[in-house]
Amino acid sequence: MSTTTPVTPETTTPVLELDGDKPRTPPRRAARGGSGAGRQMQAGWVTYTILAVFVVGSLFPLVWTAIAASHSNTRLAQTPPPFTFGDRLWTNLDQAWNTGNMGLALFNTMIVAGAITVSTVLFATLAGFAFAKLPFRGKNILMLLVIGTMMVPPQLGVVPLFMAIAELGWTNQLQAVILPMMVSAFGVFFMRQYLVQALPTELLEAARVDGANSLRVVWHVVLPVARPAMAVLAMLTFVTAWNEFFWPIIALTQQNPTVQVALTGLGRGYVPDQGVIMAGALLGTLPLLIVFAIFGKQIVGGIMHGALKG
Amino acid sequence: MTTDRTNAAPPAEGGAAPRPAPDATADEKELRRRRRRSWRYRMDTKASPYGFVAPFFLFFGAFGLFPLLFTGWAALHRVRLQNPGEMEWAGLHNFTRLLSDEFFWNALANTFTIGILATVPQLAMALGLAHLLNYKMRGQNFFRVVMLTPYATSVAAATLVFAILYGRDYGMINWALDLVGINPVDWKNNTWASQIAISTIVIWRWTGYNTLIYLAAMQAVPRDLYESAALDGASPWKQFLHVTLPSLRPTILFTVVVSTIGATQLFGEPLLFAGSPSGGNQNQYQTLGLYMYEMGWMNFNLGRASAIAWSMFLLLILIGLAYWAVSKWITRSTGGRRSSR
Amino acid sequence: MRTTPRTRMTRRAAVGTAAMMLAVTACSSSDSGGGDDGGQITLTVGVFGQFGLEEAGLYEEYMELNDNIVIEQTSVQENSDYYAALLTRLPTGSGLMDIQAVEVGNIYEVTNELGQYFVDLNDYDVDTGHFMDWKAAQATSEDGRVVGLGTDTGPMGLCYRTDYFEEAGLPTDREEVSELWAGSWEDYIATGEQFMSDGPDDVKWVDSPGGVFNAVVNGYEERFYNAAGEVSYKESQGVSDAWDIAMRAVDGEMTTKQAQFTPDWERSVANGDFATISCPPWMLGYIADKSGDAGKGLWDYAAAPQPGNWGGSFLTVTEASQHKEEAVKLIEWLTAPEQQVRLFTERGSFPSSEEAIANSEDEIQGVTHDYFADAPIGELFTQAVDGIPTLIVGPRDQVIQEGLANGLLAADTQGLDGDEAWDATVRSIDNALDD
Repeated sequence: MSTTTPVTPETTTPVLELDGDKPRTPPRRAARGGSGAGRQMQAGWVTYTILAVFVVGSLFPLVWTAIAASHSNTRLAQTPPPFTFGDRLWTNLDQAWNTGNMGLALFNTMIVAGAITVSTVLFATLAGFAFAKLPFRGKNILMLLVIGTMMVPPQLGVVPLFMAIAELGWTNQLQAVILPMMVSAFGVFFMRQYLVQALPTELLEAARVDGANSLRVVWHVVLPVARPAMAVLAMLTFVTAWNEFFWPIIALTQQNPTVQVALTGLGRGYVPDQGVIMAGALLGTLPLLIVFAIFGKQIVGGIMHGALKG
Repeated sequence: MTTDRTNAAPPAEGGAAPRPAPDATADEKELRRRRRRSWRYRMDTKASPYGFVAPFFLFFGAFGLFPLLFTGWAALHRVRLQNPGEMEWAGLHNFTRLLSDEFFWNALANTFTIGILATVPQLAMALGLAHLLNYKMRGQNFFRVVMLTPYATSVAAATLVFAILYGRDYGMINWALDLVGINPVDWKNNTWASQIAISTIVIWRWTGYNTLIYLAAMQAVPRDLYESAALDGASPWKQFLHVTLPSLRPTILFTVVVSTIGATQLFGEPLLFAGSPSGGNQNQYQTLGLYMYEMGWMNFNLGRASAIAWSMFLLLILIGLAYWAVSKWITRSTGGRRSSR
Repeated sequence: MRTTPRTRMTRRAAVGTAAMMLAVTACSSSDSGGGDDGGQITLTVGVFGQFGLEEAGLYEEYMELNDNIVIEQTSVQENSDYYAALLTRLPTGSGLMDIQAVEVGNIYEVTNELGQYFVDLNDYDVDTGHFMDWKAAQATSEDGRVVGLGTDTGPMGLCYRTDYFEEAGLPTDREEVSELWAGSWEDYIATGEQFMSDGPDDVKWVDSPGGVFNAVVNGYEERFYNAAGEVSYKESQGVSDAWDIAMRAVDGEMTTKQAQFTPDWERSVANGDFATISCPPWMLGYIADKSGDAGKGLWDYAAAPQPGNWGGSFLTVTEASQHKEEAVKLIEWLTAPEQQVRLFTERGSFPSSEEAIANSEDEIQGVTHDYFADAPIGELFTQAVDGIPTLIVGPRDQVIQEGLANGLLAADTQGLDGDEAWDATVRSIDNALDD
């Protein structure tokens, strides 16, 4: 069963159809499978030049972060600004690491982002499967509720959420930032859209005929099919959770920070050293950049293949 | 199993269960086993969907719905951050006063202009880049990965760097402008300059991501559409205009909506740009999210902050409805076009 | 000390894992208090910025004197973050330290509106007699509760660049410089006008309009609130004078047009973009840190036109603390005259204890600052303390002061005239204060 090739959901139609249990048949004429789908003109030097400009634009702020992290505060305050690496990189990294609580921050962020990712993907897959393939009463209303939730600005919940967290005595503790983020309406929507098309109903029925109960169906049929979309959702969720900012800055403090909270502490000091601040920014970004450098191809492929709502 | 379902679910289920006779045969045992299984089966199919959606709604109820309703309730009261448990009924006061609150309207207008400044160039560039990346070329993956790296950078890190690059007297951008003979721009204090500066941070982070989405959609456009357009003598530009763009309409709409929601909730960039929730000394770039934050956490007025939060919510609902209407319209018109072909 | 971060981390790890498994009820719920393993008592101290207590080695000494006490400090860089967090924690009683530092801008609110969350130091027979009267008064509520003990004060002088003064044909000797504007901020601005025309072209007279405003307004008893506790910034003489002086600096293009303590402003400190800046004791260290070798020997320190106080903090003990008695003992010791003198000689924070200044006159008077041309800062600060008025403080001092500084900066950067800027400022502050 795990050999089932998932059908790519139709990428061009993110419109939700509440009545759609039946898989929307992807337009057969779209050339699929081959990576060279679509029209392929040869890129000329103009194309390469434009792309090169954007490459520089994309990388420059990151590279300059590293450059700035290698200079003293006094050097950074001079014009023209430095374009080459200085000799204070280790000093600054060391100082950011120690004064900014960066070690704890990175560790915390990994736990937080990891926990959020696991639970978001798991619950979104379960709910997405139910919404995509199982008949049940109140389904449409509930799905509408999910869509509506996507509209809720995160700022909205902050006030009562903080009161609840305080009531529970969780201020400045990691569960304060994990629990409120454990599910995502977007994730449910995302998985539903994928499974509606990727999961053949016959497959489910066949499993039923074999006497499998729902949990077994999920384990042996749904999860294998959903895996590519789950991977993409996991990546999106992890990056978002890693960079999550608004809620952690309120629920946590510099004493027990995530990376983003620690960074804001570095940035607004009494005698802040820009070099150290940049070193902190570098430390907070590096883990994700390394992941991107190693798995970049897979991530790009995943985003393009798995779906595209983001 | 299908047969099981039809014949092993007698309506007599609820009636007296056959008392196990002392001389129970294997047949009877089998029958009981099947019956029990079918009951389980029906319970399973009925209950499992709820079981699958339950975790989501449990958490959503606790951490999404409850705060939503509570904020609505708090918005009707005078509440202060120092003592959130003490509420004094204020009716619609917190909402009505927003109507005459120039700072609210200012924040709304800023949210709107920054939203436009950040979204339009971003999506236009993404579209163009996707088109270029759709060419046959060397280093495809390199370009794609590099374009996506800003996405991995956090708002906090990106804003810190840009804030330094945008420094008035010692920033690199003004230094570069000076090289080409342009007077230094006060990126922090000038209204338009500060809004543009903040928009560039958003653009920088999100263009690559949207590019990949467009690229995926472009690769799904049926090739024969281009072929027939080429046969009709359409230039590449015309093909882009008349084949690519229309095929991408739903995707474009989708990215527009996602960007709009993001823009409405814009918070981190303007907060960290100068490190103050007032969004500039005259609130030049204070967004709604920032105004809410300032009201709640700097002025300690939770009631008013809640009212601001709710008006943001209502605003997003409106945007959502508009999205829904437009997307219905697009599906219909696209579907019509398809069937007529 | 080394092991502290690690033990914290493991606890976090446990908490995180538990949350992952949804076993949240099993989590520990309180952060405050610390443990008392084997008779050891851990006292936690929450401070903002570079508070100096730890840096001056005071914790270490106290722990040596008291074997059973372990002191753990957590510092949040920016007071506004620190205070917002403190506020959200106080009503819930969770996440608080045993000892919390409070900045003078927040002391009124802490003393009068949040007093119930703090220990009344009268209950522990703490002697507050050695503090300057006005300092003690600020942490005493209307009904006589004492919730905080003063650490330092900020008697103001003016730091100036001797090289720029010389270029502008102004005197460079600190006594002569003090004479230039003795008794009058108007004279200070007039000197600035002269400097702007005769001094180096790319150097401004003063760092920021907000800095000028602060320096002037803090010389008045009544600033943002009147004696009856009502908001009075619109009518108060102090605000009106300070605004006018600062507006003259704005109109004369005398400032670098920045907000204080922003990265851009820090760069202008580092690059020496201005000739003068209001200097409470803690600013000296700031300038020395920022300007580095480039500014060494170029700065000097003169008296301000009028005495005033800028900054200074208090230490409080929270009701949520589980070791109130030990915590009170600690803050009493930390703010005692001897320790205040040490804080000054080692960190440059000027004492808030009258007794400290009187008892250790020689020690304090002898302190000089080598970065500022060996200025006898002990002597100069002691003089600057004389005549500091008893400021009337109010709950929203900080919001009002920031609003006014913002308005001046807007006038400076966006070309608003004085009246427009004032109107905008009043609207903004009123909006912030409005219920």
